[in-house]
Amino acid sequence: MLQLAAGNKMGPSASIVTVENLEKRFGHFTALSDVNLTVAAGEKIVLCGPSGSGKSTLIRCINHIEKHDAGRIVVDGVELTGRMEDINGVRREVGMVFQSFNLFPHLSVVENCMLAPMKVRGLSRAEAHERAIGLLRKVRIHDQANKYPGQLSGGQQQRVAIARALCMQPKIMLFDEPTSALDPEMVKEVLDTMVELAKDGMTMVCVTHEMGFAREIADRVVFMDRGCIVEEADPETFFRAPRTERARDFLGQIIH
Amino acid sequence: MNSLDFSIVVQAWPYLWSGLLFSLALTAVAFVVGLVLGTCLALVQHFELPVIGRLVRGYVALMRSIPLILVLFWFFFLVPIVLGHLSGNGRPVPIGATWTAFITFGLFEAAYYSEIIRVGLRAVNRGQFEACQALALSTFDTYRSVILPQVLRVASPIILSQTIILFQDTSLVYVLSLTDLLGAASKLAQLNGRLVEMYLVIAVVYLAISSAASQCVASLRKRYAIAGR
Ligand SMILES: Nc1ncnc2c1ncn2[C@@H]1O[C@H](COP(=O)(O)OP(=O)(O)O)[C@@H](O)[C@H]1O
Ligand SMILES: [Mg+2]
Repeated sequence: MLQLAAGNKMGPSASIVTVENLEKRFGHFTALSDVNLTVAAGEKIVLCGPSGSGKSTLIRCINHIEKHDAGRIVVDGVELTGRMEDINGVRREVGMVFQSFNLFPHLSVVENCMLAPMKVRGLSRAEAHERAIGLLRKVRIHDQANKYPGQLSGGQQQRVAIARALCMQPKIMLFDEPTSALDPEMVKEVLDTMVELAKDGMTMVCVTHEMGFAREIADRVVFMDRGCIVEEADPETFFRAPRTERARDFLGQIIH
Repeated sequence: MNSLDFSIVVQAWPYLWSGLLFSLALTAVAFVVGLVLGTCLALVQHFELPVIGRLVRGYVALMRSIPLILVLFWFFFLVPIVLGHLSGNGRPVPIGATWTAFITFGLFEAAYYSEIIRVGLRAVNRGQFEACQALALSTFDTYRSVILPQVLRVASPIILSQTIILFQDTSLVYVLSLTDLLGAASKLAQLNGRLVEMYLVIAVVYLAISSAASQCVASLRKRYAIAGR
């Protein structure tokens, strides 16, 4: 009750995600240590850093696909404590897009989008269908609605995955390198979709190394290395004048 | 040696037909019971539940290491005793050969199907589970709507092979003095001395049924090949 009240009181610019002193270990390996991050409603954050720095682990903790070992995660006023009720409450409000799409291969495109709204949100088949077609239209793939994922290109599949997440009407969207598995010519169609989503006001946390995208939509770039947040800045500042040595090294590598 | 005379088969057809129906009924029941129960057993192992997980693993290993014919014998004698104990008065409750056959085949096949499903479950990409989690699907919906449909599709050829073996194994019910297709043919062959004709005809029947089943799955697979990977 207390958390609910607090959630309501905070108003539109309050934080949707609060991460405090987060720790995550895999066995003896510490993947995240003392990570602090807040995401305000409507804010767009780009998370970058070298491979293995803990970016995926961090966003996977936010919807509890990974269970954190210490610290606090509060999403939309609900703290992730390990209670299944809270976890599912959070997951309903958090959409996620994976590097490898993870569409359901045995369901058609539109059925992929209808499943969770029907099972989790309790929509009727007709309502779920209408919503799915609407969002597939938004990502410009409604003409493929009755095909199966295996019949689509990577870029198309990723746009379906975005629509599938949006069908749950999440308050925040997490992207884990959504364009890394794509052929170069398909990257743009996915980034364009994400830019549009950002302009609609969606709160977003994106793990990506697409600097053009970061420049265009990010309010903040968060740079991670070896399980810690090393640097945070607006994109212009971060790309032009990174403060830390590690960020400079990293940027040197991705610019080639 | 006399020339072949198939008129004998025509005369005997009603008896063979009833044997065939019994084989098909036993196969169908054992298939449904075995697949449903086998899926449950596979899930129990998949979830690595502490105590029943091990019990189930033991059960599956036991069933798979003992010939079906032996299990039939045991069940015929053991099930009445167990039922007697359960009913309280301790006196064996005979259940008859037919019930014994249906129960035994169902329980026996469950072990084989569960092994097929268990391997299939392990083959499902982790990303599928994560996508379900991210969408807040319950564990029940995850398995019912996403995981099991994929497992059953991928495993359908192996499930079919197992079911064809099951269909052929129904002949073992002779130890319970029941008559399936092969049993009917044997009895008639012994009576009229027309072994070659009888065994030729039922071989054709077995072949026809098995290849029809294979065709069925092949066409299903074709549909799924279009419908996803
Ligand atoms: N399930 C896991 N088991 C063990 N180690 C893991 C697991 N997931 C990630 N790691 C390790 O944690 C570190 C951070 O991984 P990750 O968050 O995927 O990095 P990034 O997304 O930044 O490339 C890596 O060193 C990785 O090997
Ligand atoms: Mg990663």
